[in-house]
Amino acid sequence: MKVVTGVVGNDIHVVANRLIEISLKERGFTVFNLGVNTYLEEFLDAIVETDADVLLISSLNGEAEGWCRDLQILKKQYTFRKDVVFMIGGNLGVGEMDPDALVPKFKNYGFDLVFHQVDLNVGLDTLENYLKAHA
Amino acid sequence: MSLLQREREIITQNEYVDHFDFEEIEAFVKSASKELFISHRFKTSDAMQVQPRGGFPTYEKVFRLYEEFKEAGVDVLPLTIDSNTRLNDYATAKKMLALSEENDVDMLNGYPLINHGYRTTRKMITHFDTPVSLRHGTPDARLLVEMALASGIFEIEGGPITYLLPYSKNFPLDKAFLYWKYVEKVCALYSTFNEPINRESFGPLSATLQPPAIVIVIQLVEMLLSLEEGVKSFSVSFSQTGSMIQDVVTANVIKKLARHYADMFGHHDADIHLVYHQWMGAFPYNKEYSDALITASTVIAAMVGADKIITKTRNEAFGIPTKEANARAVASVKYTLGMLKGLPAVSDEEEEENLTSMVNEIMEAVLNDGADTLWRKVFNAIKKGHIDIPFSPHVINANEVITIRDPQENIRILERGKLPISDRSFAFERSKIRLNEGERVVDKIIKDIGIMQ
Repeated sequence: MKVVTGVVGNDIHVVANRLIEISLKERGFTVFNLGVNTYLEEFLDAIVETDADVLLISSLNGEAEGWCRDLQILKKQYTFRKDVVFMIGGNLGVGEMDPDALVPKFKNYGFDLVFHQVDLNVGLDTLENYLKAHA
Repeated sequence: MSLLQREREIITQNEYVDHFDFEEIEAFVKSASKELFISHRFKTSDAMQVQPRGGFPTYEKVFRLYEEFKEAGVDVLPLTIDSNTRLNDYATAKKMLALSEENDVDMLNGYPLINHGYRTTRKMITHFDTPVSLRHGTPDARLLVEMALASGIFEIEGGPITYLLPYSKNFPLDKAFLYWKYVEKVCALYSTFNEPINRESFGPLSATLQPPAIVIVIQLVEMLLSLEEGVKSFSVSFSQTGSMIQDVVTANVIKKLARHYADMFGHHDADIHLVYHQWMGAFPYNKEYSDALITASTVIAAMVGADKIITKTRNEAFGIPTKEANARAVASVKYTLGMLKGLPAVSDEEEEENLTSMVNEIMEAVLNDGADTLWRKVFNAIKKGHIDIPFSPHVINANEVITIRDPQENIRILERGKLPISDRSFAFERSKIRLNEGERVVDKIIKDIGIMQ
């Protein structure tokens, strides 16, 4: 399984990004890590280039919404497999947010799996179960 | 006119800069008070110098911060520069400074030195008549350093590697080397006017499980790149690792090897100093625990024989500290240091030997590169992964080295990536690591990053 990952927007927080890469590798995924400070177009380009199964976007500085709200529009401009799983996780809002409101919001933007302030391993376990269920 | 002077005239002509009067600046530095030079302080005092961090947008707030620090008994004042100036975006800095001045709210996370200019800033620096250290994080610091020196700021932190790999994703590394070469040349020139300008490298790097061998190699190469341009006073630095014995071992090895490599390259007349950063990782939210951490770290600084300590505050976990909290930390560190005179030397010979071997092995690979100049050799070493910093956001960094803590909390190399360390040194590192049955490395890393929380 191939995963493209990275931190979206003008966010330079690298520690979690590296931990995500290490965790994915330990779970047997092939990882294409675009690193911090990555724009949505670059993520979609990478899905096409690598023929990835999963896109895992992370964000810490809380500005992810502004960078991801056009995902649906952008998806239409690209041709890749229909079964690519779109996942986002981290700290998805500035200040204290209601996770019950955030999750549906990001699902509307075109994400299949959304994790706001959820433990990394819980998120990745959910991803693996999701992939098994949709295999 | 020399090539350097021609370059300087171009760099200092900018719509955000008032006329740069090189003759007047030279006359100012020649007659400047010795008290402004930390290099002079190092020569004349044995006491560990205490320096906090700090900077505000407006002149008035920095002035009041300095007053507070002086009352707390500070030895060296900081001037931290805002993030826009660090990225050479003087237009945004100007706008945000105006907003900060009008509304009494801080719209910048530091002092926009270019916008204030050297004529204004110099008034403050000479008023306090205390050494000031420039703290920034700027890959292209040419104008900033010109402005700092003209203001009477005679210690410049940073370097082409330590201000780039931890702070930037894709600023070109070769450009950073050349821009810092300019900085070194200007610092060397000013060093001939009065007391030497002190250059300081930034050893904490990404402040996340940094292995001492890599920290030391980077300190050594930045020192050599500075000395080869004629700088005469240089501080190597590192931050608290989380293991007291590893701090002691690191300090002993870095002191020994800095002198060794400086002499090897013929820089016998260079003064080398050691700076210790209090814990640079995530702080606890409990302020009493933060106080305990700061006190323990002060004890370690005394044990390692640091020439200067850079302090943290009990507000660290909550954001930029108030001037009162910042000054309180300075007073408390000074108080603790008063109890720590004449400590006996301790170390671990086996650990020192292994760390020395790893540093020498990496240095040998760096220096054996076929390139014709030192900066190109170092540039190639980073491209090849011979120098590889854990948790760097920069695209050129190899990101193959993985480190975790051993049962004594020493940071150990678990995966060496392309680090040119010998099998023997690597086996020593690996032999100290204990992973519990079924424990995943990534979970151990997460735990090891957060040991102070």
